[in-house]
Amino acid sequence: MELLVPLILIGVGFFVGRHFEAKHYASIRDREKKTLHVPMMNFGAKQDLPYAHDAQLFVGSVVVANDYFKTISAGLRNLVGGRVVVYESLVDRGRREALLRMKEEAIEWGASQIVNVRFETSSIGGKSRDQGLSAVEIMAYGTAIR
Amino acid sequence: MSNLTLTTLEGVPGREIVEHYGLVQGSTIRAKHVGKDILAGFKNIVGGELKGYTELLQESRKESIERMVMQAEQLGANAVVNIRFATSSIAPGAAELFAYGTAVRVK
Amino acid sequence: MKFVPKEITKEVNVTPVHPLVNLAYLLGTVTLAGIVIYVVLGLIASQLVKRIGIETEEQIGASLVNSLPNRIDTGDSRLEYLQDLTSSLQDNLSQTEIAVVEYPPVKISILDMPEENAMVTAGSHLMVTEGLLDQVESENELAFVLAHELGHLHNRDPLDALGRSLVLMTVSGLLGVGQGPNSVLVPNVLNLTEQGHSRTQETMADEYAIALMMARYDHGGHSLDFFRRLQSEEFDLGVLSPVAEWQQTHPLTDNRIERLESIAEASDWPLTGNPTSLPEGIECANFEAPC
Repeated sequence: MELLVPLILIGVGFFVGRHFEAKHYASIRDREKKTLHVPMMNFGAKQDLPYAHDAQLFVGSVVVANDYFKTISAGLRNLVGGRVVVYESLVDRGRREALLRMKEEAIEWGASQIVNVRFETSSIGGKSRDQGLSAVEIMAYGTAIR
Repeated sequence: MSNLTLTTLEGVPGREIVEHYGLVQGSTIRAKHVGKDILAGFKNIVGGELKGYTELLQESRKESIERMVMQAEQLGANAVVNIRFATSSIAPGAAELFAYGTAVRVK
Repeated sequence: MKFVPKEITKEVNVTPVHPLVNLAYLLGTVTLAGIVIYVVLGLIASQLVKRIGIETEEQIGASLVNSLPNRIDTGDSRLEYLQDLTSSLQDNLSQTEIAVVEYPPVKISILDMPEENAMVTAGSHLMVTEGLLDQVESENELAFVLAHELGHLHNRDPLDALGRSLVLMTVSGLLGVGQGPNSVLVPNVLNLTEQGHSRTQETMADEYAIALMMARYDHGGHSLDFFRRLQSEEFDLGVLSPVAEWQQTHPLTDNRIERLESIAEASDWPLTGNPTSLPEGIECANFEAPC
């Protein structure tokens, strides 16, 4: 009985989590294609300011949490050591989503390019770190010009 | 490693950027194994460098750079400029090593 | 400087491993480490058993037992009866093929608990519950339970368990296994292996008990009646029963009876015979029925 509840949670986490991940990735790829025409770069601070009418800061952020399957896998990985494969897709998804949110907002504003893009990642844990409840905030910010 | 020029500057000195392809990023998430944790616990008593962790993080950071370079190569770039690193703890015991920059073609 | 829009099509930041394959690898590694710990535990525990002196064992046992509530160890004439019954069983050990093993003299006490149960701890403290005395219907049934516990003493199981739990606690404390996301899975896995271990111990104690019963009463009749009655109260778990068996310390009574019957059959031991009756008022203090 004690073992049954976690097993069910792992199963639910795996199938539902995987379904959402696939859906999210499809949406990310689609949106990345749509916004490809606007250049983004992470330099620009020490160059001559590009000629523009307007410049504005844009921030995109997303908080992602892991499913139960990932929590268990990562927990075991903590004993073994090595590459935490299950979290890679989580963070990759989060980072691309944050970038897209910033970009889409900037495009709506009319940006012709976004310069000096920076990323920030922080673990904002749930109730307590000991419980393995973890969520990560990923944030992308940059200056859009038009 | 590949022959891409990697810099933390806004360009490559002595070269001119002719084309740029946008952001490239590489990331890897690593966990240390229990044995290292225990050793680190002992080390915490006396302080000093945690050699095991230093090596692990160096190796992981190298991988994140390699992944970033793989993206740049896909885009046909010959340099990645303005590279930045970020290290963050994703979950208890797991750290993410993240590298990003702008893929460019220089002449 | 000109911008050339290009798409990154190959995912480089996600290792192409199926999550289930990854989980299987992790589980395999952790299980393997678990098995290693399990074997090492066994070695350490057996070393501990060999090195611990009778006196130390008595001391440990006394401190363990003294913390138990509702324990009757003096002033009840039933204790003498139980002590006599145990001694008469022990006296017949020479008639079996089982080698003599030294352990501290058996000290019997009664626990005031409604659940039918019996147990031994380090220092040869043997405890039976009021619930058990209330439920047994013949001396053979009671003697079998006592013989089973003697079997544990013979195999030095209480000390083994003590050593194992000590080492297990140290190891899990060091690894921090009880914390974080592992707290759901890893202790369960360890528990399962521990339970598997104690199941083997139960089976061995059962084998010891049936041999002793045969030496004392010349037949195995009625000694299993108590388990048969327990069995009829059990649920039928159907397909789930292998899982249930793995989760339970004592093998399911069904299997226990079958195993004992096959042992008796192989040794040509009769499983029928007349029961020896219990003294009146065994369920009441000092045999003073009704209570």
